[in-house]
Amino acid sequence: MKRGLAIYAAAAYAFLHLPLATLVVFSFNASRFTLWEGFSLRWYQSLFTDAEMAEAAWNSVIIAIASTVISTVAGTLTAYGLWKRGSRLLSGSLYLSLVTPEIVTGISLLAFFQWAFRWLGWHLGLYTVILAHVSFSIAYVAIVVAARLRTFDPALEEAAMDLGATEWRAFWRVTLPALTPGIVAAALLALTISFDDYVITSLVAGVDSTTLPMVIYAMARRGANPSINAISALIVVIFGALILISERLREA
Amino acid sequence: MNRLRFWFLLPARVWFAGLFFAPLAIICAYSLLTRGVYGGVEQPWTWESYRRMIDPLYGIILLRSVLLSGAATAICVVLAFPLALFISRATRRKNLYLQLVMLPFWTSFLVRTYAWMFLLRDTGLVNTALIGLGFLRQPLPLLYNDAAVLLGLVYTFLPFMVLPLYATLERLDPALLEAAADLGARPRAAFYRVIVPLAKPGIWAGIALVFIPCLGAYLTPDLLGGGKSVMIGNLVQNQFTNARDWPFGAAASLTLMLLTLAALAAVYRRGPKDLL
Amino acid sequence: MKRRYFLFGSFAPAIAACRRDRRPRLNVYNWSAYVAPDTIPNFEKEFGARIRYVTYESNEEMLAQVITGNSGWDIVFPTHNRVSPMSAMGLLAPLEHSRLKNLSHLEPQFQAPSWDRGLEWCVPYMWFGTGIAFNRSVAPPPSTWADLWSPRFKGRLTMLDDPEDVIGASLMKLGLPFGSTDPVELHRAQHELFQQKPLVRAYLNAEVRDQLVSGDVLVAQLWSTTAAQALDVAPSLNFAFPAEGYPLYCDCAVILRESRRRELAHEFLDYLLRPPVSAAIAQSTLTATANASGRALLPDKVRNSAALYPAPDVLRRGEWPGTLPPAAQRLRDRIWTEVKAA
Repeated sequence: MKRGLAIYAAAAYAFLHLPLATLVVFSFNASRFTLWEGFSLRWYQSLFTDAEMAEAAWNSVIIAIASTVISTVAGTLTAYGLWKRGSRLLSGSLYLSLVTPEIVTGISLLAFFQWAFRWLGWHLGLYTVILAHVSFSIAYVAIVVAARLRTFDPALEEAAMDLGATEWRAFWRVTLPALTPGIVAAALLALTISFDDYVITSLVAGVDSTTLPMVIYAMARRGANPSINAISALIVVIFGALILISERLREA
Repeated sequence: MNRLRFWFLLPARVWFAGLFFAPLAIICAYSLLTRGVYGGVEQPWTWESYRRMIDPLYGIILLRSVLLSGAATAICVVLAFPLALFISRATRRKNLYLQLVMLPFWTSFLVRTYAWMFLLRDTGLVNTALIGLGFLRQPLPLLYNDAAVLLGLVYTFLPFMVLPLYATLERLDPALLEAAADLGARPRAAFYRVIVPLAKPGIWAGIALVFIPCLGAYLTPDLLGGGKSVMIGNLVQNQFTNARDWPFGAAASLTLMLLTLAALAAVYRRGPKDLL
Repeated sequence: MKRRYFLFGSFAPAIAACRRDRRPRLNVYNWSAYVAPDTIPNFEKEFGARIRYVTYESNEEMLAQVITGNSGWDIVFPTHNRVSPMSAMGLLAPLEHSRLKNLSHLEPQFQAPSWDRGLEWCVPYMWFGTGIAFNRSVAPPPSTWADLWSPRFKGRLTMLDDPEDVIGASLMKLGLPFGSTDPVELHRAQHELFQQKPLVRAYLNAEVRDQLVSGDVLVAQLWSTTAAQALDVAPSLNFAFPAEGYPLYCDCAVILRESRRRELAHEFLDYLLRPPVSAAIAQSTLTATANASGRALLPDKVRNSAALYPAPDVLRRGEWPGTLPPAAQRLRDRIWTEVKAA
């Protein structure tokens, strides 16, 4: 039985990893067709000369950083506040936002923005995407930080307050530093979620705020451009690295 | 004590009120209005959109969503169980094995879905290889059908089933299996009568983590299903963009929400409370 | 650690600002394959502007964005019968003819078209008809809309992803008028489309071109310009305007009322009307231009292409669809959703 399980596990891992591995391998394919014709970096080169892709990548970075900062701050504060004393309404809202399908969040935000913009006369843009991303990231950050808080001993804070610190100082000087690895892990999580989001972003992005996933989606739909393999390989490697770091921090 | 907590919770409260509940309220309102001739919404208020949702034409889409999600979940349970068992029994590198399971999930969702397009389409790797090796003369239509969508869903959500199963199996006391063997049970009987029942909470948690997101899937059926209205998510998206029928799209998305919450309620009762 | 995040986060917008382009901007949303490779760069160079040029494949896709009134686009290219509803909804900016000196180059029939007699709102750009593109290996070749319902094309047939064209084709197959507003007739057409659906491989617009060329698709309902582009690449293809009749369309350039750059937008439209520019586009994209002076500059083969500029007797079978009354439009949209969902 043990050997059978091991063989099965190997096959399962192959199933999970081979599709991505083939993408990475074929990103180095010299031919534009699916026949291997030799090693080449041409698709990576065409990536770096593509102005549209560069702008989309830049937008993705800006959106990811901005939404990560905001949602990490808000999520950490929320997790801490709920840890002090729970609130059924707020926890319920957090879980509800996690369970809501992305498409529903996306169209509801789109409808909301369009309705509001009729009075304000604004346009969809980078900022609407950032707002949307914060909307779904807060819950993720709050949950990761809350998990970290569960392992934190409240006696430490009480001790600090007994020694004369205010609530705020106790939080800032005692709890927060202890939470830092968890917060950074949550931030990295929010970063990757934001960077990779397609559904919500495509609905609320305006004319000038194309993101990298939107470009990749268009290429996947049209089906012709092999440099999509190159950008996919890059994303796989970069995300993989980011997440390994996050995991290390979470275990710390 | 309360003042700090008040300010700390304020950002999230404001955010949720303004950017989560207000939008949902607007969607509720839209679902009861009428479609403008070329788009947008206008009076009068009507139940028409919901009446259309019950129409068998769209009932099929609802049914297909539930069936595909159910099938994907069932397949995930079967595929994930042995893997979770293997990891729980591994003596040394448990964490590594777990990380290897989660690693594909953490890379981009879009890229993972595209990987299957790359493999399955007419000019994709599978067809090219089969034709090159002489097994086929014409490419097989592997993509743009329900089977491809099912494959995509299983591939995407398999890690979600492995983790809770592993968590439950890991807590399994090996002494129980020894006891079963002592009482004369063969390995297969021990498996079905001891291991599986004890793993039930993990199975239900896994079902929650797979079935519910599958219901609301959009990208997988869109890319792998060929852009047709395969599942509810696609119907919603289409009504809000090209079809410009916001009231109907709103009704469809609220139906999806209801389905999701119903599934959640059904599973919550059976699964472990602390995992969710 | 958090402090570092704050600092880094605040740097990002600063870096973004440094990179920002100071040139005046114009956002143009157009059909795919409707400009020559150097049309946009030449405009940018001559006028010192920067154009964001994005393409779409259907009127519905464009309208979905524009209808909100705050889409961010300056110029879009609706098909002619969408122009008057768009202006009625207040979406369009009136054109200032004083800024459009090149309007005189348009063909006489497009100087005062039925959908915009005084060219108050739109500038006709490219025109075309809908017909049937097919592989020459198909015998006998399809020549009527009814041929598209033939079981011999099962799985190798595509229809357009356009409600007006598809419902219209079904109506014409039944001998009913293309622009019918009668609910009974429309439901009959819908029934025909349900019958046809199992034969249809997909509902595709210009994207089907590659599949036609490669032979995956044998017969396609297609716009004449897309067909001309495909025929140019693959001699194994042919194109025909159906015997029952067919629709003629004209894509027109309009300036959106929400645009804050109307001067530059007018300059762009005037630039597109220049004969050499128009000719370069028509030649590169193989589309039928509404610009008479531009057409005169084209090489013979393009100027006299039967698919692009049909002979008078063929042209007579065509009709220009008008704007439908709201009730009929709603019914057709509903029918289309149901056909697509079936």
